[in-house]
Amino acid sequence: MIAPTDDPGCGRSLEELNGYLETGHSPDQPHISTCPECQAALAALTQLRRLTGELLEHDIRMATQPEEPWLREILTNLRLETRAGRAIPIAPEHPGDSLWETEGSVIALIRNIGDTIEGATIGKCRLHGDVTVPGTPVDLDIRVSAFYGYALHTMADTLRTELETALATHTELTIRTINITVSDLRMMPGRPERTGT
Amino acid sequence: MMNPAGEGHGLWLADDGLLAERAADGDVAAFEVLATRHGPVMRAYARRLTGSTADADDVVQESLLHAWQQLDTLRDKGAVRAWLMRITGRRGIDCLRRRKHYPFSSAQMETYDPATGPEEAAVLNAGMSALSMALAILPEDQRKCWALKEIGGMSYEEIAYELGTTPTSVRGKLSRARATLLKTMRPWQ
Repeated sequence: MIAPTDDPGCGRSLEELNGYLETGHSPDQPHISTCPECQAALAALTQLRRLTGELLEHDIRMATQPEEPWLREILTNLRLETRAGRAIPIAPEHPGDSLWETEGSVIALIRNIGDTIEGATIGKCRLHGDVTVPGTPVDLDIRVSAFYGYALHTMADTLRTELETALATHTELTIRTINITVSDLRMMPGRPERTGT
Repeated sequence: MMNPAGEGHGLWLADDGLLAERAADGDVAAFEVLATRHGPVMRAYARRLTGSTADADDVVQESLLHAWQQLDTLRDKGAVRAWLMRITGRRGIDCLRRRKHYPFSSAQMETYDPATGPEEAAVLNAGMSALSMALAILPEDQRKCWALKEIGGMSYEEIAYELGTTPTSVRGKLSRARATLLKTMRPWQ
């Protein structure tokens, strides 16, 4: 039922013509541009490409339908676990107890606090220094993506103050520096410019 | 969390690079935004690769889990979409290999079903229906090559590497797939 190839019949192969369609180049271009068989085959191949694109778009639309719960189900099945990272000790109230919190939870705290600052979205966060030994100076490096229209200095100052307070409340880390790098500036869709708080 | 307008949260407006950085740091919410953004194209790819909606969902689930575990190894965080598509292609191939070993699994039962329900058929035009049907009846090795090339954007060499074959063999399969698709669809053109 299936012929190995379905060439146009003028000695050129469908393969060659598809290559021409993909690259726009062919040593045989003078022939192709005047040969009716080649032109018909090119039209069919173009149509196939167009339909392929349309079918893919259709499939994507179907998968994006709000009534399609498939992705939510998948994400629920995955039960993604937050990375724990290092164990950060906390001085126990009762001698003999040992308490600690995970580095992952501290990073999550930093992200959550940072995201509440207007105009800022927190990127990568790193705690440098041996967080497992109490009293060791720790440097915090964070990357921030900022929205256009917010004063960067004000944003960075607010971020630093908020983080200092939160880290002092929820951890016993000795924070030496908080280094904030604004890694990019983005336009906020649909919002007018505004100044920082 | 699934609502792109969600609570003014910057994550929905963040670009892939930032989300991938955060996800690599263990931020589940950022990863879910990435999954919501790219899941549909991963599913479409997996569906055409495996020929089965049920298998496609398994493939996407495995791919996302793999991505979550391996995100910190992705150097160019901005290229997350291409990376996810590559993972999906590989997982799709694995799925087809598994199916070969268990040919009578439930997934196999619906493999050769054109998988167009009534509501779906209603929005597909005649040409797209014809292509969908033609793909469903294409021999598996040809359909696999076709999807990896036309949806996954892989080169002959990459496909050959993933399938453990030669670029020449891939070229042959693709050319047969294309000829068959054109022939099957001729009445709609």
